[in-house]
Amino acid sequence: MSALLEVRNLETFYGPIMAIRGVSLEVNKGEVVTVLGANGAGKTTLLKTISGIMDPEKGQVLFEGEEIQGREPHQIVKRGIVQVPEGREVFPLLTVEENLALGAYTRSDKAEIARDRDLVFSYFPILAERRRQEAGTLSGGQQQMLAIGRGLMLRPKIMLLDEPSLGLSPLLTQEIFTILRRLNADEGVTMMVVEQNAAVALDLADRGYVMELGRIVMSDSAERLAASEDIQSFYLGHANEGARGERRWKKRKTWR
Amino acid sequence: MTGLPQQLLKGIRVNAVAGQRPVHIDGHTTVPALLRARCQENGAATAHREKDLGIWQAYSWTDYLTHARHIGLGLRALGLQRGDVISILSEDNKEWMYCDMAAQCMGAVSSGVYTTDSASQLAYLVNDSGSKFLFVENEEQLDKFLEVADQMPSLVKVIIFDPEGLHDFAHPKCLFLSDLYDLGRRHDDEALFNAEIDATKAGDLAVLIYTSGTTGQPKGVMLTQENILAGMEASLYGLPFEKRAEQLCFLPLCHILERIVSLYTPLIVSSTVNFAESPETVFDNLREVSPHGFVAVPRVWEKVYSRVTIMAQEATLIGRWAFGQAVKAGRARAEYTIEGRPVPALVALRYRIWDALVLANLRRLLGMDRLKQGLTGAAPISPDLLRWYHAIGVPLYEGWGMSETTGVGSINLPRANKAGSIGQPVPGIQLRIAPDGEIQLRGLNVFSGYLNKPDKTAEAFTDDGWMRTGDVGRIDNQGFVTITGRMKDIIITAGGKNVTPAEIESRLKFSPFISDAVVIGDRRKYLTCLIMIDQENVEKFAQDNKVPFGDFRSLCRAQPVVDLIRREVEAVNKEFARVEQIKDFRLIDVLLTAEDEELTATMKLKRATVEKRHKALIDAMY
Repeated sequence: MSALLEVRNLETFYGPIMAIRGVSLEVNKGEVVTVLGANGAGKTTLLKTISGIMDPEKGQVLFEGEEIQGREPHQIVKRGIVQVPEGREVFPLLTVEENLALGAYTRSDKAEIARDRDLVFSYFPILAERRRQEAGTLSGGQQQMLAIGRGLMLRPKIMLLDEPSLGLSPLLTQEIFTILRRLNADEGVTMMVVEQNAAVALDLADRGYVMELGRIVMSDSAERLAASEDIQSFYLGHANEGARGERRWKKRKTWR
Repeated sequence: MTGLPQQLLKGIRVNAVAGQRPVHIDGHTTVPALLRARCQENGAATAHREKDLGIWQAYSWTDYLTHARHIGLGLRALGLQRGDVISILSEDNKEWMYCDMAAQCMGAVSSGVYTTDSASQLAYLVNDSGSKFLFVENEEQLDKFLEVADQMPSLVKVIIFDPEGLHDFAHPKCLFLSDLYDLGRRHDDEALFNAEIDATKAGDLAVLIYTSGTTGQPKGVMLTQENILAGMEASLYGLPFEKRAEQLCFLPLCHILERIVSLYTPLIVSSTVNFAESPETVFDNLREVSPHGFVAVPRVWEKVYSRVTIMAQEATLIGRWAFGQAVKAGRARAEYTIEGRPVPALVALRYRIWDALVLANLRRLLGMDRLKQGLTGAAPISPDLLRWYHAIGVPLYEGWGMSETTGVGSINLPRANKAGSIGQPVPGIQLRIAPDGEIQLRGLNVFSGYLNKPDKTAEAFTDDGWMRTGDVGRIDNQGFVTITGRMKDIIITAGGKNVTPAEIESRLKFSPFISDAVVIGDRRKYLTCLIMIDQENVEKFAQDNKVPFGDFRSLCRAQPVVDLIRREVEAVNKEFARVEQIKDFRLIDVLLTAEDEELTATMKLKRATVEKRHKALIDAMY
């Protein structure tokens, strides 16, 4: 089976700094794949390279079997890859409806667009209530919903979500991830979710990769990742209290 | 001193003929006496440096002695007696050094524990040595003690170096190093301290070195003051640097190599020791310090080489060309220098040009610009790598020693060098090859026995008093020794053929893609091999050849990687006879770290553990 999205030996630089040092991964149709990693691991750079905002130095990005690395972002969007950027980045002075309309910018079938908008509203009822409100006046959680909704308006083949939980309360995070799960289950939306919040991400995802310093150090099914000792102590915060009951140090990571 | 003829060697007075009793350095026959003399002589000069919050801080020779005295007298106040053992569980730092010396000054014995050892291994080492005091670096190491606190009845007190994160901590057996210093200051008595130093005799036990134990439990190698002095005397002959030279300390001090290089060598020539911040920062520290002497294991030299190669490949076209030309010029010259032959004028000129243009900068970049010569030991190194270092102007020589021989045995020197051999026996040491091929040694540096293991001690010596090294080797007519294998590891295949796996393994290890290998085949039909790949170089290979991989496991499973290793194995096979061919191999797809039992502290695979842990992989090959 060939994957929907396949990344091979990707290397991306910021000037002289190598942010991605050879990453290979794949996402199959209908799957939710999560990429975990701390600050500076290269997760966002990875998404940006896939969506064409950054160009890789080496390596390939294959989408439906075709190489798309180095293409312009708008061409990549047209193929059905949508990135929901980190920190929402909705258009603050446009209304909710206008933001959603922009999401469907590349499409022209009005009736279908209207149907998709209603679909978005059915998943995010709060957006329907506030459809005429300026996006900048929405709460953080609502803006995140809007950003996801805007992404859905393209009917993407794959959604790249960059830290959807960033800056949200645990309750809101739960809510958004519940909706993401439904979107995946009911609408079959394929997703690649980059997250620092490993608990919710592993709960949602089928498979996961762990990135560190621009490399993948671990890859496995979400359940097995969640059960791994390193993930538990470094990402899920399960501390082994040690002999004194107040251990501060962490054992070295082995990623196995 | 007695009537033995004396000589001045590099400004140090020693016996004219090495290896004779009494062994002394500038008239001192024990480490503590020599330490006291050097500290008094050098006074306010810098003895060592350590980084504090990122800034190098210097400590004088006077500080050195004062700290050792306070620790020693503090321990005495807590009940330390002559002959007692202390254990040190810490990464390298100045406190390690102070504690080791404090123990020796007070007539006690010091024993190092690797920070990668587990709590149960710590308990074993403390109990086997009967340690009365344990020094731990920080809360991480302290937790190991707490985990097994009730299993170590001999311990009186545990002293913690770093109090960070422990301000609420209280335990009847534990105190902080600052408390020990206070105690030492309260009981300060220079006359008593000096008396203890003077009471130490050459035959007294000085340190215990636990051998990594590739088979069975670790054994405590007992080294006396005389053993260490003999080791120091022998190493003086090969010492490339002089007074005030800078050194970098980064290998574990528990290991005999770093112990003799960083703790005892400075006492010979009053050199300055710089402690690397951590094993991860060695290369940065190397650049900052730019030492005059650098002793490392092959792994470190390989890493430096890999870094430079990768850097060169990623340089501009001109940069790559220039680097290639420079190395070529260096290699041409190395052909001569490596064997100590005079360099023809033209070759020398060409080298000088490229040296000025490229190589000098490279050495500065690496922190090797002041390095007169580098030394490698503790594991076999590829002769190609030796040549490469000679080519870039860092003459690298291979030496050999064991814990049992106080770290010295044989060495290659600029005037007597043969790449691929372990050199000629150091002065003061006699070396012979037994009829069965075993290398055997005799000398004042040879240990007195394994602690608590009289049977193992008996096995270690021949009837006529020579030490069995357990290594099989040969010696050529110029006296250069070459190791070909380990006695114990000799494999007898089901066909009845004897094979020394070490020879095949070290050939495999010379491949940049293979970090270590274990050849298997005892009582089997044919030979097979488990291979640990070199992560960095294989990842580079995969990147360059567009081999997709995720984590380490998928890297090991990628077919092109397996094919790459197969080519390496086949290349090695060509050099060996038919019975010594490796028929099949498997890659160990777990990234092993020093904490893993499969590896020794010097990152060598332990045959027995590997065979046990990866039995499934092995069985799959038969």
